[in-house]
Amino acid sequence: MTVSTSPPTAQGTEATPVGAPTRRFSRDWVVEQLIRRAMLIVMLLIIAFFSYRSLRFSSLDNVQTILVAAAPFALIALGQTLVILTGGIDLSVGSVIAVAAMAAASVAKAHPGQVWLTVLTALVVGAAAGAVNGVLVSRVDVPPFIATLGMLTAGSGIAYVIGHGAPINGLGAEFGSIANTKVLGLQIPVILMILGIVGLGIAMRRTAYGMRVYAVGGNRLAAEIAGVNARRVLFSVYTISGLLAGLSGVMLASRVISGPPNLGSGYELDAIAAVVIGGASLMGGRGSVWGTALGLFLIQTLNNGLDILLVPSYWQSVIKGVLIVAAVAVDVWSAKRRV
Amino acid sequence: MSRFLKLAAGLTAAATVLTLSACGAGDPSAGAASGGAPAPLRVGVSVYDQSSFITAGQEGMKSYAKANNIDLLWNSANLDVSTQASQIDQYVNAKVDAIIVVPVQAGSLQAQVASAKAAGIPMLDVNASLASTEVAASVQPDDVAAGAQEMQMMADKLGGKGNIVVLQGPIGQSAQIDRQKGIDQVLTKYPDIKILAKDTANWKRDEAVNKMKNWISGFDKIDGVVSQNDDMGLGALQALKEAGQSKPIVGIDGIEDGLNAVKNGDFIGTSLQNGTVELSTGLAVAAALAKKQQVDTKPVYNMPAITQKNVDVAIQHVVTNRDEFLAGLPDLVSKNLQTGNIAYEGIPGQEQK
Repeated sequence: MTVSTSPPTAQGTEATPVGAPTRRFSRDWVVEQLIRRAMLIVMLLIIAFFSYRSLRFSSLDNVQTILVAAAPFALIALGQTLVILTGGIDLSVGSVIAVAAMAAASVAKAHPGQVWLTVLTALVVGAAAGAVNGVLVSRVDVPPFIATLGMLTAGSGIAYVIGHGAPINGLGAEFGSIANTKVLGLQIPVILMILGIVGLGIAMRRTAYGMRVYAVGGNRLAAEIAGVNARRVLFSVYTISGLLAGLSGVMLASRVISGPPNLGSGYELDAIAAVVIGGASLMGGRGSVWGTALGLFLIQTLNNGLDILLVPSYWQSVIKGVLIVAAVAVDVWSAKRRV
Repeated sequence: MSRFLKLAAGLTAAATVLTLSACGAGDPSAGAASGGAPAPLRVGVSVYDQSSFITAGQEGMKSYAKANNIDLLWNSANLDVSTQASQIDQYVNAKVDAIIVVPVQAGSLQAQVASAKAAGIPMLDVNASLASTEVAASVQPDDVAAGAQEMQMMADKLGGKGNIVVLQGPIGQSAQIDRQKGIDQVLTKYPDIKILAKDTANWKRDEAVNKMKNWISGFDKIDGVVSQNDDMGLGALQALKEAGQSKPIVGIDGIEDGLNAVKNGDFIGTSLQNGTVELSTGLAVAAALAKKQQVDTKPVYNMPAITQKNVDVAIQHVVTNRDEFLAGLPDLVSKNLQTGNIAYEGIPGQEQK
């Protein structure tokens, strides 16, 4: 199911199949392809099923609906992809969303007209939170799970501190214009999502920075011997993850013109799920932005289609849980076959 | 399960009153703190979380406490039942004069209720029910009536005919169950109103906006949105705006943004659950019990309907003239406990009786 292709450095095992090359269109080749593209096939089957069950599912309006819902998750899933590629994890993004959203909302409340200042606040707050994670992981050598768990816990409290224990309501229409303005027929969060996926997708495969991230995740020692400054790479991925969470937070808050301190709670798990379904390994070094995008749209398409088919929320959770485990199980199984 | 507990609670309600009076009279240790000199009454409060509802309530309680020589001990359980349990244990150990719980979970904390009772400390549940026969008093909103009220507003607006969607609170929470019960009660009178879809958005705006958007994709004709709280209704409003539609929406709670939505016509109405009034009433009942005064131990908070006609007064109480409202609150609450309508706050349409 590996939709990912590792970059040419560091980990060569993925791109070139081990053992004797199978002939194209032979039986083995077909089986191999089916397993490798399992997630893509599942995605297409799901789309086909929903389209068959409801004519409205495949309407252009509904595609827009899925994209708008996906955008805030996409931003944090992209950051999460980089972190997971280094073999780390960022549990804090849900809280960082809340802190950034509350900070932005309080700025918007105090200075209603200053839209750019509002957005800038969210970005700075997000990046700062990410930078703290980055320093803890790269300099102090706190395990990523612990460092970001601490930030998750502290952040959920800080969001309430900013709002003095309550949501920030009564925000003006200007605050809503951040996420609800349309450019070329697309809402701004959707445009940011597309830019993010394409930009980071290319950066990870075509630039030296991308290769360093894969290298550090694949084998940190080897990467350091090869001259990669692993600490700097680690610091950068957590900061980027925080920055994107901040952006996600202000988009979420702006869309509903409100600053709820519990915004984004649990979102980190959806982001991690998207990355994992997209074929990334939690051990690092394997995965891709494209895979994450596929995983993300799989989850969002399910959310949308199951709502249209009136499947209750609790059943939706069951279905998503099964999907996550199945995706990883297929991945592990196909990896074993290849060896 | 919780329905069974409620049934049990209902059946033994009469027994409770008997138990309580027996407890109050027969317990000598409780009188120690309230002897002679005006030592302030100490009341321990444990709330489920610092939500906006609770924060508003806290302001009201502080105002009432200041006017009535009460020391408030305050703790938030951060939505964790076991945290709440240990907070109450601490209050019992500290021998406070009364304990107020705004429960994380309906029907929980039976052990704490028992130990408070054994220590002779009156314990009250406010806003959500512990479904215990042993609490000293219970100040509860009528969520069934609120659900019925919002559904009635929508039915009137639609002329008794149309397709609606319902946004629900977290499935299984008592407010969600009761508000849905009220909605269903009214719907039995209107066979021509059909629920196209109902699902939870966990009281949250950001979840509701996506849920509603998906429903708009899925259905041709949605005539109205019945939301079990204002936040989800505001999410639905955003979804409709994005789809270029405008439909009647009704909510519950009367939060600032919800009241503004009523004022500018985005909502057809809401029901005001003024935490400031509801929680201060809880404190007033607790204080009365601690002083062994006669008081209604089961007052019910009936949320006033808010429409464009009376929304301005509600906005004054909740947002704009807040300080003035808080200053008059202690007298209002004491008066309400005598008259019986504990939700009264002078909103047009309410009666102080």
